[in-house]
Amino acid sequence: MQDNFNQQIENLKINLIKMASLVDEQAEKAFTALETGNVELCRGIKAKELEVNIYDNLIQTQCENILALFQPVAVDLRFIISVMMINNQLERCGDIAVNIAQRVKKTNEHHSLIAETQILEMGKQAREMLKNAIDSFINNNIDLANKVIDSDESVDKFNKQIFKALVLKMQNETQLIEPCAHLIVLTRHIERLADHATNIAENLVFYVNARIIAHKKKFEKWGVSDQTID
Amino acid sequence: MKTKFHIKDLDLFFKEEKVLKQINFEIPANKILGIIGPSGSGKTTFLRALNRMNDLEDGTRIEGNILLDEEDIYKPDYDVVALRKKVGMVFAMPVPLPMSIYENVVYGVRLSGVNDSKLLDELVEKSLTASYLWDEVKDRLKTSGMRLSGGQQQRLCLARVLAMEPEVILLDEPCSGLDPISTAKIEDALTVLKKDYTIILVTNNTKQAARVADNTAFFLMGELIEIGSTGQIFTTPNRIETNDYITGRFG
Repeated sequence: MQDNFNQQIENLKINLIKMASLVDEQAEKAFTALETGNVELCRGIKAKELEVNIYDNLIQTQCENILALFQPVAVDLRFIISVMMINNQLERCGDIAVNIAQRVKKTNEHHSLIAETQILEMGKQAREMLKNAIDSFINNNIDLANKVIDSDESVDKFNKQIFKALVLKMQNETQLIEPCAHLIVLTRHIERLADHATNIAENLVFYVNARIIAHKKKFEKWGVSDQTID
Repeated sequence: MKTKFHIKDLDLFFKEEKVLKQINFEIPANKILGIIGPSGSGKTTFLRALNRMNDLEDGTRIEGNILLDEEDIYKPDYDVVALRKKVGMVFAMPVPLPMSIYENVVYGVRLSGVNDSKLLDELVEKSLTASYLWDEVKDRLKTSGMRLSGGQQQRLCLARVLAMEPEVILLDEPCSGLDPISTAKIEDALTVLKKDYTIILVTNNTKQAARVADNTAFFLMGELIEIGSTGQIFTTPNRIETNDYITGRFG
């Protein structure tokens, strides 16, 4: 019984790692295309989405089966819950990589505009966050997960700064309104990717430390806690 | 929150062997305490210590105290018959007496001298209702208790305990031989009964403790390893031994 359970958990983890590798590959291609302007790299990102979605459904089914058949508790239950949440986050990261690739293609002729703003720095940071979030899960590395969580604020700041810079650009150079609009959407996608990477890291903390740390900064800012509602 | 039992420095010996070691904790009234642990961990011995059932075995002695409503149940002049009336017990195997359902329920009450038929009728309905059996047997109370199914027999035994109007109900693996539907009926009954009784449930089925107990205690090799709210024990146990047991890694 225990051997069977351990085997199912192992299979689940392997599938999640395979899915994470696909998403990582999608993100790598999308960000390299953004950085180099080589839109050829964008080809194949969309095709990977299908595989990611297959893993998404497979992992969800595996989790459902394990919950129904083994009714895990404590650390085992937290593992399944974390896998379900991370699965969801990864699937969205895959979608975002596709969205980023689409915007890269639309703004390819304006690479100087991309270089002029801080979009590449923001992209690098978000890319690094996703990579570290996946690594933290694979290796149960809490320090790395915390590093991801701490980086999110900086990506948010980039997003605000870039937004302001692009709005200014649109006001001053109306012929650039369309590429700037695409770039605003692009930075929004990058910001969301960083959010999902943060969520993955928070789920690892939940699994390993049995602590729910999501929304912690907002709660602190507003002076409330998750105990506020009975 | 009122404390029903207060266990202080309890050691229990069978001859020279110490089978319970330095047990210290309080059991709150009107709650369900689940006791879990592998075979030989001392959970049933502990349960039996709460109504002095272990006294019936030669060579048993205890050190320390068990206070029930702040009174030491092991002090020399404590009335053991009164104790067992106050602290009823349901065993793993249902033991219906070879008599009618009605007589099974009132057996203990009759022994204690009550013979008023109206009073007994009321008590039978009340006890069988509380044990979730009334609707199934109300039209055949004169049928032998032996003809009931295993699940019904166990609820009959619970009704027999309830008829004595105890304050505490001890249950030792009450659902071990029952199907899921009968188990659910016992569990439903316990959940309602805790309003009026303190319930202590020994179970090898950790999932059962998770479903019905307010607090759960984990015993291992005669020691109380950990006690806490059931939610805490089954999500974030503090001790590695508890974690390993509830996740099935040993035991």
